[in-house]
Amino acid sequence: MVKLTIDGQTIEVDEGTTILQAANQLGIEIPTLCYHPAIEPYQVCRVCLVEVRKGTTSKLVPSCGYKVEDGIEVLTRSERVLKRRKTIVELILAQAPNSKRVQALAQDLGIEKPRFAKRREIECILCGLCVEMCNTIMGVGAISFARRGIEREVTTPYSIRSDVCTKCGACVSVCPTNCIRIEDIAGEPPEPIASEFDEGLASRPCIYLPFPQAVPNKPVIDRSNCMYFEAGTCQVCKKVCQPGAIDYDQKDEVIEENVGAVIIATGYELYPISEIPEYGGGKYADVIDGLQFERLLSASGPTQGEIRRPSDGKIPKRVAFISCVGSRDPEHHMAYCSKICCMYMAKHALLYKEHVPDGEAIIFNIDVRTSSKDYEEFYTRAKQEANVLYIRGKPSRIIKDGDGLMIWAVNTLTGKQVRVHCDMVVVSMAIVPTKETLKLTKDLRIPTNQYGFLSEVHPKLRPVESLVRGFYLAGCAHGPKDIPESIAQASAAAAKTLEMFSSGELTSEPLVATVNDDLCISCRVCIETCPYEARLYDEEKDIVIVNEILCQGCGACVVACPTGATQQRNLFDQQVIKMVEVIFGTQEPNR
Amino acid sequence: MERKNLIDEINPEIRDVLIEMGAEDIFKCYQCGKCGSACPWFQVGTYDFPVFRVALEAALGTLAASEDKEELAREIDKVYRCVGCEACVDQCPHGVDIPKIFRAARRLLVDFGSYPEVLKATVRRIRETSNPFGEPKDKRPEWAKEIGIKHFDPSMEFLYFAGCIPAFDLRARRVAQATARLLLATEVPFGTLGTAENCCCEIVRRIGAEGVFTELASANIEAFLKAGVERIFVTCPHCYDSFKNEYPDLGSKFEVLHSSQYLLDFIEEGKLKPKRPFEYRVVYHDPCVLGRQNGIYDEPRSILRSIPGIELVEVEDFSRSLSVCCGAGSGGLWMEWDRDERIASVRAKQLTETGADVIAVACPYCLQMIEETTKSLDSEIPVMDVAEILAYSCLEDPGPIILPEDQS
Repeated sequence: MVKLTIDGQTIEVDEGTTILQAANQLGIEIPTLCYHPAIEPYQVCRVCLVEVRKGTTSKLVPSCGYKVEDGIEVLTRSERVLKRRKTIVELILAQAPNSKRVQALAQDLGIEKPRFAKRREIECILCGLCVEMCNTIMGVGAISFARRGIEREVTTPYSIRSDVCTKCGACVSVCPTNCIRIEDIAGEPPEPIASEFDEGLASRPCIYLPFPQAVPNKPVIDRSNCMYFEAGTCQVCKKVCQPGAIDYDQKDEVIEENVGAVIIATGYELYPISEIPEYGGGKYADVIDGLQFERLLSASGPTQGEIRRPSDGKIPKRVAFISCVGSRDPEHHMAYCSKICCMYMAKHALLYKEHVPDGEAIIFNIDVRTSSKDYEEFYTRAKQEANVLYIRGKPSRIIKDGDGLMIWAVNTLTGKQVRVHCDMVVVSMAIVPTKETLKLTKDLRIPTNQYGFLSEVHPKLRPVESLVRGFYLAGCAHGPKDIPESIAQASAAAAKTLEMFSSGELTSEPLVATVNDDLCISCRVCIETCPYEARLYDEEKDIVIVNEILCQGCGACVVACPTGATQQRNLFDQQVIKMVEVIFGTQEPNR
Repeated sequence: MERKNLIDEINPEIRDVLIEMGAEDIFKCYQCGKCGSACPWFQVGTYDFPVFRVALEAALGTLAASEDKEELAREIDKVYRCVGCEACVDQCPHGVDIPKIFRAARRLLVDFGSYPEVLKATVRRIRETSNPFGEPKDKRPEWAKEIGIKHFDPSMEFLYFAGCIPAFDLRARRVAQATARLLLATEVPFGTLGTAENCCCEIVRRIGAEGVFTELASANIEAFLKAGVERIFVTCPHCYDSFKNEYPDLGSKFEVLHSSQYLLDFIEEGKLKPKRPFEYRVVYHDPCVLGRQNGIYDEPRSILRSIPGIELVEVEDFSRSLSVCCGAGSGGLWMEWDRDERIASVRAKQLTETGADVIAVACPYCLQMIEETTKSLDSEIPVMDVAEILAYSCLEDPGPIILPEDQS
């Protein structure tokens, strides 16, 4: 252990610790610029200079690389340090006047304008972080220093396009002056990883918080893009994480639980714009869907709540909203109404007008459906308070028009052609079940409708129960729904579950399948056929039996059974045949 | 004052007649209006064509049914605007066949003899001479005789049916001859039926003259059966559509292939080998009847791509199913509009603005419309059929082919 004092405070640290690390332990802040915790100190910027006194000698050393010695006295803000640091930062600021980090350093030291002239065009201060990052940390070696003196620069070998650059962006992430560009190194722009939470309107790193209110509020690693998992390099996150919380061996865990009931609430996703060729099929950056517009409105969104269009960041002065895109279209897409769009479009238009009061919001609609409490009033408000323009007519085309978009439609009420130039278009895409829902229902053999929405037992009388007993439905996995409806259904599903648990016994319908043991040849066709897994093979008796609680009396096994061993209770073949004969008048009903 | 025309009277009799005549989709329409801006007349922009109201008007029984002369004239004008391109059907959320509703109204008008004189004359010519130009019947085989095509006999593989425009129009005749030269080069035996061929009558049916259609189409079927025809190769997509989709209603069972299909087959089988480079930027125009109505988008493009030297470009935003009609369909070829009021002008402009050296088409109607219109736009960009370009690339003697540099 080594004992030293920093700004009068005494501390004991391990041998080999740097002064910077020791000071950090004491909570003393030393400004740095070319220092990065994951990178071996290059000690070139000299911003972190401190005064080290040992006996009668005193010297200025860079704290990021200087190892502690027993009995030294370190001063981080002595007059000598500050004077020298000020000059250093002044020199750097002259070279990189636009760098936010350098500006902040200068401000702290009270520098208003550097006394020195800018020597080179590029703002690079030759701190070497990018070079070290690329070579040592990422093991790529696409860039290095070239030439000397005033001509010294960071570049690729022979200053030609690099073939080895992986466009990982590590160099960009550490550059304090934002002067290194992937395009200059690899000859093509980087491919950012789209942020799922921001609906692709922003990028995210490979280690990230899924969304601001995530529970637990801890970052996750995107293994498919992480350079450690891809090439075994980087590990910067591990190096900088002081509590040492990064664990690359951690894996997704599958936790198995025994439960008595399952409520399926797997939500929805939006039908992709790429399915709509007449609206550009996704080729226009400024044609976005409702969820993307929601992110633009959010204070935690990609534009911090300012409405700026994705293509060039301009504030759109005219925004068109189009309803029923991909829904109410049985010919090409989904036949059903997505239900929530009319209301969220009115909300979006209203909020847009609040954000951009001189902007114009146009809603292209076929019908405006406001069939819940207070909804009609809200729609009226959007029109009367915010002067949202409702045009009745479904546009047939969105095409490029200058730096904006042109919408073609017919106003079906006036009969006139509508050609509107818009700066941005928000399309209300159809609500569809998530891919996970589709997989789940397939795996669990839970019946759905043709679009993959979960089927209920009875549309009016049993709307929250699945056709498979023990599964309950809530929210958009069952069909398009808004928030109040989803909550009502979820509450009902929970109550139904509790009702089942609290009753102490299960009741079931009497009309279930039965097996005539003498006829059963245990071919087990019924097990394959049963959608409810109500058929079990009894090894002891060598027959197939019926779990009467799971059986829903659908009759699929009765049809499949080759020997007639399976019959539906109270609905035997003879009974059905008799009924048919009576209906067709070939037999008299029994009196 | 007479207020009758201000009211939409409900006229179930007319509605029922229209449904009987093919307007069965009228109750599918939910008035979204998407068809209104999908229609090529929207792009012409001089006339608010109320396409989206047609289904409703038919359901009310008010379509083409006014007793007021002036209003009926306006109705006739409206009903005969439709060029049957099906751009509306392609985009309609409920798949309402709007051209078919128009056709039902046309049948009603034709029955009463109230339809445009130019179309009356066309139908009359087809009825009398079996071709829309009123040319004598015995002139039909001339194009084939010039290059020595044999008469069809049952031992032959297929019948080549050139269609009226390629048989009689001097410009389109070059397309028929180029196609026939390619077919000769494959050495697969084929022939034509000469004077026994009638107009396919697709256009007659779309004008609304159902009776003439049935009469001449039946005559065609009879002639084909008598000659022992099983496979028909055509050049015109309108013949293709008619033979393939409409003749079976009259009891025919022929295999029908369009030139873009069989020529591609021959290339893939190695019977045709494109070798001479065609070093031009070529834009392909999708004919409505071939593309949207029969789903043939890729075959013509594949043929063009197989030719060395070609740079194939697309009309951005307006190709494949979003292609715009040339304006000739459903009788449009004979209707007369001012230059600024033509659908063809819209399409020709889109095609020339791609900067292509050559416009490639696969339909004689499109060829005629676009060629005439580009000329009227003072553009020197040549319009060629895909078969002509292929013949240029494959054959020693492709016949007269006019290249971009020969144009001016």
